[in-house]
Amino acid sequence: MDNGYTKRQRERYVEVEKKSAEDEQLNRFWPHYRRKARFVVLLAQTLVCALIIAVIVIVYPTVPLEAWLLIAVITLIALASSIIAANVILRPLKDLSSALTHVAGEQSPLPPPNLNDSYYTRNQMRPLLKLIYDLAMAEGDGAAAKEDTASDAVSIDVKSELNHTQTGIVMLNPAGEIVYANKSAPVHIDANGKKTLELIFDVDPSIEDWLKERGEHDIHAEHSWRRIASKLTGEEGRRLYDVFVSYEKGSQAEAVISLFDRTDEYQPEDDDLDFIAFAAHELRGPITVIRGYLDTLNDELADKTDGDQRELFQRLIVSANRLSGYINNILNASRFDRRHLKIHMSELSIGDIYETIADDMQMRAVAQQRMLAVDLPDGLPTVAADLNSMSEVMANLIDNAIKYSNDGGTIEVTANVNGDFVEVTVTDHGIGMPANVIANLFHKFYRSHRSRETVAGTGIGLYISKAIVESNGGKINVKSVEGHGSSFTFSLPIYSTVANKLTAHGANNQDFVEHSSDGWIKNHGAFRG
Amino acid sequence: MAIKSILIIEDDRFIGEMYVRSLKKAGYDVDWMVDGNDGLIAARNKPYDVILLDVMLPERRGSEILQILRGGAQDLIPNSKVIVLTNFDQAEESRLAMEHNADGYLIKAEITPKKLISVIEKMDTGR
Repeated sequence: MDNGYTKRQRERYVEVEKKSAEDEQLNRFWPHYRRKARFVVLLAQTLVCALIIAVIVIVYPTVPLEAWLLIAVITLIALASSIIAANVILRPLKDLSSALTHVAGEQSPLPPPNLNDSYYTRNQMRPLLKLIYDLAMAEGDGAAAKEDTASDAVSIDVKSELNHTQTGIVMLNPAGEIVYANKSAPVHIDANGKKTLELIFDVDPSIEDWLKERGEHDIHAEHSWRRIASKLTGEEGRRLYDVFVSYEKGSQAEAVISLFDRTDEYQPEDDDLDFIAFAAHELRGPITVIRGYLDTLNDELADKTDGDQRELFQRLIVSANRLSGYINNILNASRFDRRHLKIHMSELSIGDIYETIADDMQMRAVAQQRMLAVDLPDGLPTVAADLNSMSEVMANLIDNAIKYSNDGGTIEVTANVNGDFVEVTVTDHGIGMPANVIANLFHKFYRSHRSRETVAGTGIGLYISKAIVESNGGKINVKSVEGHGSSFTFSLPIYSTVANKLTAHGANNQDFVEHSSDGWIKNHGAFRG
Repeated sequence: MAIKSILIIEDDRFIGEMYVRSLKKAGYDVDWMVDGNDGLIAARNKPYDVILLDVMLPERRGSEILQILRGGAQDLIPNSKVIVLTNFDQAEESRLAMEHNADGYLIKAEITPKKLISVIEKMDTGR
């Protein structure tokens, strides 16, 4: 043994250590002393009773049975009342020891004495208790400081050091109140001085819910959240955090929350997304007024304009409508890119979808000297589709056909059944595309080298059309011969073939689409990707 | 019921004036409020047949107004129809919440005054 102790000696030493540690516990005093005090009181009382009985027996040798019973009852009452008296007399001692136990931080079955209890005021005992609590507080600070110096070679002021870190640290007591928060922590203080965590949990569970669960089930637990914002989008001073919580039941700081500021990493992406929604909002304002007044003036001036002016009006209206359509494409593409494109399936006919854009499309065709021939057979089965987004797809395809065909050209819109799907085909007899262009056609911002010079467009229409069609559970294809024109075909599932799945999953695309579109679009419910 | 009185809560002056002009021409009684607070007060003080509600409003958002009017235990405007008119691309959740409490949800840029009047007329005939 390096320190000279034998194994046995050491075991004894440890035993004694353990024993003395237990002996030094403050909470052992009260139960022990109460037992002793009761024993002494009962012993004294019993002794007195015995003496009295002895005297009675000596003076009156023939005591009747009734008297014996009486003596027994009186003895019992005497014993009981002495126990009660002892409790009353001992209460201050109990409270003082309980207060001392609590300030020492030991476990105690007794609640700490409440200074505001009138009992202490009545008995002039309040100052005594108050002194204990005050001393404990002063001592506590001193002890904590001493501990720090003892544990670290260099003295560190932990609190001030924590205020220098970028990581937010927050501690919650068992009641869920903030007992400590460093400078970097996003904490809001209201008018009453109540502190709350400034975090917006748009995911389940929130930190409160999670902690509530823990309080009921766990002793030790940890959980983390990614990308939690401190404020709503657009508000000043918005930060984005990864949040880590560790929970330790029974600690004074039951939950310790660490907040890692990841704003620099998350913000640019977030800004892009917000930028598009806000930009679209701004662009749509003037468009609303332009479209609104064009429509109004077109009606009100109908009998004052000549043929030429009427055509100018049509061109204005068509252009404004197109602009509006492009903004919808941009918004849809942005939603799709952040996996936020949601569609709501219902039972529709292809005619229902076309109906919503018919006037606009006819006007566009006429304004650009094209013939739009729409032939949707009556007997077609209904499809499962999202009306809004599918009408945008149809508008995109017809608009493209108008753009890439020649003056006086015809655009044909037809529909037919193919297996479990209804197929809609938009055909133009325009410039067409070479095979190498077709391969890239549905990519974002791709446009044919030739068309780039002759026609304008965002190159986003086909990209989002493919995304929407596939979200609806269909497919989109193109056939094209350079110099002879193109024909785009999209398919939508026949309603009766998917009605069961739709009702089982609700009328959104989540699970349904994942199975039917080669998994191209995944879980739209999740905002974050 | 015959739709007669219409409240417009809209902060864009051009858009607000455009709706007021067309709706008045079509024979409706129209009140127009520019900020969310005034809009909410007006909606609570007078029983309008139709309320046209914007979302991005100063003082109080349209979603908040709708929540106060229709979101509680009691519908505070049981005899009014609410049409949400917005150009803002709301998050799916807030859009669904508003649609739930409204009788219509339309993108302003897609709706000309003429179309808006036809929507209101359709509501009137109970279709």
